[in-house]
Amino acid sequence: MANSYAILIAVLLFPGGLFALALGLTLKGADRRVAARLQGRVGPPLTQPFFDIVKLGFKRTMVPDTASETVFLAAPLVGTASMLLAVALIPIAGVYNPDPQIGNLLVLLYLLAIPGVALMIAGSASGSPYGAIGFSREMALMLAYEGPIVLVAVAVALRTGLAEGHFPTFSLAEIVHYQQAHGAFVLDPVMWPAAAAFAFFYPANLGIVPFDIPEAETEVLEGPLLEYSGPALALFKIMSALKAVVVLSLGVALFMPLPLTGGVGLAAWVGQQLVLVLIGVTAVRVSRGRMRIDQAFVFFLKWPLLLSAASLAVAAYYTAGGAL
Amino acid sequence: MTVLARLKNLAARSPWLYRINAGSCNGCDVELATTALIPRYDVERLGIQYCGSPRHADIVLITGPLTKHVLEAATRIYAEIPDPKVTVAVGVCPISGGIYRESYAVCAPIDQYFPVDVNIPGCPPRPPAIIEGVAKALEIWRQRL
Repeated sequence: MANSYAILIAVLLFPGGLFALALGLTLKGADRRVAARLQGRVGPPLTQPFFDIVKLGFKRTMVPDTASETVFLAAPLVGTASMLLAVALIPIAGVYNPDPQIGNLLVLLYLLAIPGVALMIAGSASGSPYGAIGFSREMALMLAYEGPIVLVAVAVALRTGLAEGHFPTFSLAEIVHYQQAHGAFVLDPVMWPAAAAFAFFYPANLGIVPFDIPEAETEVLEGPLLEYSGPALALFKIMSALKAVVVLSLGVALFMPLPLTGGVGLAAWVGQQLVLVLIGVTAVRVSRGRMRIDQAFVFFLKWPLLLSAASLAVAAYYTAGGAL
Repeated sequence: MTVLARLKNLAARSPWLYRINAGSCNGCDVELATTALIPRYDVERLGIQYCGSPRHADIVLITGPLTKHVLEAATRIYAEIPDPKVTVAVGVCPISGGIYRESYAVCAPIDQYFPVDVNIPGCPPRPPAIIEGVAKALEIWRQRL
């Protein structure tokens, strides 16, 4: 039973739950603040996303007449729950190791798809035409980015497995341990294309410019979120904050875990996430416009797919040939 | 101070604005956009955001003299904004009809149809005036939470 208590704490307190929520909202605040500075404005306080969540808690949730009420209200719950679980699956180098029974890359990929599906269901259940447009765009975008991310995962698994002399390993803890001992994959030329593909996956999965097509507020008025208000909308905001932490820490675990432990390791891990957000999200977001859905679709089937396939092919070649 | 009161103070720092153009000549809307967009008046520092959906809104800004054509649509959109909400009338048109006063096609003053909390007169009002009006609306909103 001790085992299940440990999992419960990992899901609700650290590194999932409260810790991940606080981190995700702070990252969002830092993103907004720095974006404002880049545009020559003062910007909101770092804690602004917390205020937004608290505010939404005081508002009333309205369900449209045309909506299917149960599905409409369940969608944000499902999305948030899946992300709470997902944070607990990812190891923090030298600080936290998930239970070996659950810390699996393939499970994580399935969990990562759930928020997108929850948004799609939310959009179609709301009965709003804008929600329906958001639904179809979200689906097209998911089809485009899910392929490359699976290839990235397989490439990493193959690379780790072959270096340790056995089959591909999808255990996240093993992947992190290997990199801590032998240097991070981001320093390995074989994995550079995969890391680049992952960098494109991040904004698409989180709906950030230039891939915020399903929730484009100037076109479809935030699409699936259009009809949501009050606590239900707050849950979606919480979901996306958690998702930011999940995807970022997955990127860190797959490509750049540091050989540190304890408090220093944790601080470095948070620092890595902050740097990744400011360079990979904020700087891109303020300097680029939104893509059209057809452009984004072609883009993902061209570059990230090619890049991740390249990494996979090289890793597979070495597996067949022997030494690396 | 109780926990609830503390939370309400935090919540009051995140007002989201929604604009209803009730037949305005667009002058006030340009001033609203200016208030939001240019660095000089950056209102995001107060936590203020414009939102596209009435369901996300906290403070409603109504511009224009409320033409007869737009009356029904404006009333319906207003009803879609979840409570608690604060209504701000921007420009002189919602108060008296402005240059459209006594026209057969307008329903001004709009406080016959909406419970207006704050009036920001001007044709159009300057951004500092709009910010002051929103600040007053914020005080009212804090009490309504």
